Amino acid sequence: MKQRMSPAHWAGFVVILVWCLLPVVWILMVSLKPVGETTTGSPQFFPKDWTVQNYKDIWDNHDFLRALGNSFGIAVIATLLAVVFATLAAYAIARLEFRGKRVVLSIALAIAMFPVVSLVGPLFDMWRVLHLFNTWPGLIIPYMSFTLPLAIWTLSAFFREIPWEMEQAAQVDGATSWQAFRKVIVPLAAPGVFTAAILTFFFAWNEFVLAISLTSTTAARTVPAQMSFFVGSDQFNPPYSQLAAAAVIVTVPVVVIVLLFQRKIVAGLTAGAVKG
Amino acid sequence: MAAIEMVNIVKQYGDGFPAVNDVSIDVEDGEFMILVGPSGCGKSTLLRMIVGLEDITSGDMVIGGKRVNDLAPRDRNLAMVFQNYALYPHLTVYENIAFPLRLKGGIPEAEIDAKVREASSTLELDEHLERKPGNLSGGQRQRVAMGRAIVRQADAFLFDEPLSNLDAKLRGQMRTEISRLQKKLGITTVYVTHDQTEAMTLGDRVAVLKRGELQQLATPRELYTQPVNLFVAGFIGSPPMNFMPATVKGNEVELPFGTFTLPAERAQRAQGKGLLIAGVRPEHFEDAKVVDSSVAGRGSTFRANVDVVEWLGNEAYAYIPFEAPDEVRTQLAQLEKDLDSEALRTQLVVSLDANSRIAKGEEAEIWMDASHLHLFDPATGENLTLGA
Repeated sequence: MKQRMSPAHWAGFVVILVWCLLPVVWILMVSLKPVGETTTGSPQFFPKDWTVQNYKDIWDNHDFLRALGNSFGIAVIATLLAVVFATLAAYAIARLEFRGKRVVLSIALAIAMFPVVSLVGPLFDMWRVLHLFNTWPGLIIPYMSFTLPLAIWTLSAFFREIPWEMEQAAQVDGATSWQAFRKVIVPLAAPGVFTAAILTFFFAWNEFVLAISLTSTTAARTVPAQMSFFVGSDQFNPPYSQLAAAAVIVTVPVVVIVLLFQRKIVAGLTAGAVKG
Repeated sequence: MAAIEMVNIVKQYGDGFPAVNDVSIDVEDGEFMILVGPSGCGKSTLLRMIVGLEDITSGDMVIGGKRVNDLAPRDRNLAMVFQNYALYPHLTVYENIAFPLRLKGGIPEAEIDAKVREASSTLELDEHLERKPGNLSGGQRQRVAMGRAIVRQADAFLFDEPLSNLDAKLRGQMRTEISRLQKKLGITTVYVTHDQTEAMTLGDRVAVLKRGELQQLATPRELYTQPVNLFVAGFIGSPPMNFMPATVKGNEVELPFGTFTLPAERAQRAQGKGLLIAGVRPEHFEDAKVVDSSVAGRGSTFRANVDVVEWLGNEAYAYIPFEAPDEVRTQLAQLEKDLDSEALRTQLVVSLDANSRIAKGEEAEIWMDASHLHLFDPATGENLTLGA
């Protein structure tokens, strides 16, 4: 049933939009203020002098660019690996009957429940010994492990939805198990795969505790960690406007990726009923 | 093209329950074989063992002279149409049909295209080739599923209740289509159904299964006229055969409605067996007033109270309740259970000529043709009058 939008609806929307977007707009405004204006305290919402100098400064900051590269590489690789492993594991869990299936699922869930902070110490020690400290793999491995459980649970739910007959039909048509999986099951589970990918990417992109603890230089430091090293003239006057500019730059890829994948998810959901 | 031989096939599940028990069926090259039975009789399991989706506990599955027990489905070169079609929703109709060809690899694109278009024109799917299965009607999806089967040079077609998701009218049309296609391609076909109309109309031969055991393997005509036991007699035919208690003395058979004279040969086989179950098909009854004088001599008449009359235009069904002794009643109740149906009372279903004026609640004179009467052993269900 279609309902006409009443003024109350509109008012509700406006309240929610302001509630959600105000912090984002605030950051954007701060990033457009000159450094001097923010260090003296800048209670006004709009900048007195509009400037893009902060962005120029950030762009000239090699450490920041390195960190951006690290963030991107680490997040993408962790996402790819997590999705591949999660897809295979979830498929086995959804389709195969094997001993200890419940144990695997429970352990996966238990891992997801560990507070990240509690693992920082042990990981730091281990990575030093294994020479993984301050390297990409040193961050990729924990990011992957922390996101795998959720990805496995999401994906196995998707796989269970796909009728087994799809796969049997493919096998009768002449496909090997692997071909049936790759050409029929994975495309059908695409919405689930993208969901898992987004979750993993977000985690890796935004993560701070491990990023700051397991790195020491820009060889592997990611943006959230690098931003804590933005120190101005002295410790008590951080360059807020530059931090804001960096925050805006870091947010852009996330927004783009969400929009990109969201299309895919919707497309996957409407691609066609299995049976009707 | 290949013959399919099933030799003493057994399927036992983990709990020891035999879903298919010692079934042997030879499907000849080019033959249309039907596997039929009520739900849970093992017909689908048997089909899935032919195609390789189900392991065979013991016995031999021989296709085209080669034992295939241990071959994967893809190595058996069979095509199957699933009950819910199992089309790939992410692929267009064209790609769905081309799927088996692409899997083989090494087939030039031009050849694939030619084969897909040939299959699609056979099945009149040409204008739907670029659509996704989700946008097709039930009948069209059914045809796509068949297209995917005929596009490859499979040794045999396997159908698993392919029409059960369609409405009645479409089912009739597709049934004819399948029959025509099979005759045209001349390919060995095994077809599973629970619908005895499909079984009778499509099959060269029909295998009737009950609880994993083969009851009878015969042509539709033989199944109808010479059922080997109570189960087959009750399963084949609609409305089903009437069963009632009977006692044979000399050439006379005593039924709840009176005493009738049997052909000598039939009577002789049932001598001294005590209480039996008699089976008479509805069409072997008639309103005594309209029965054709040329056949009237084959039977005799009795008077009975007609409970309900259903007039269908071309014929009418009359229902006549009767009382049965407990011994027969339990046997008939068990039979109903085997057949997946529920009869609330023992009654005769009688097919009458459309000109009959018998009304419900009336006492009427009914004629019965005793020459087609079957007699069954109540203990074993075996047909005593077989071949007589």
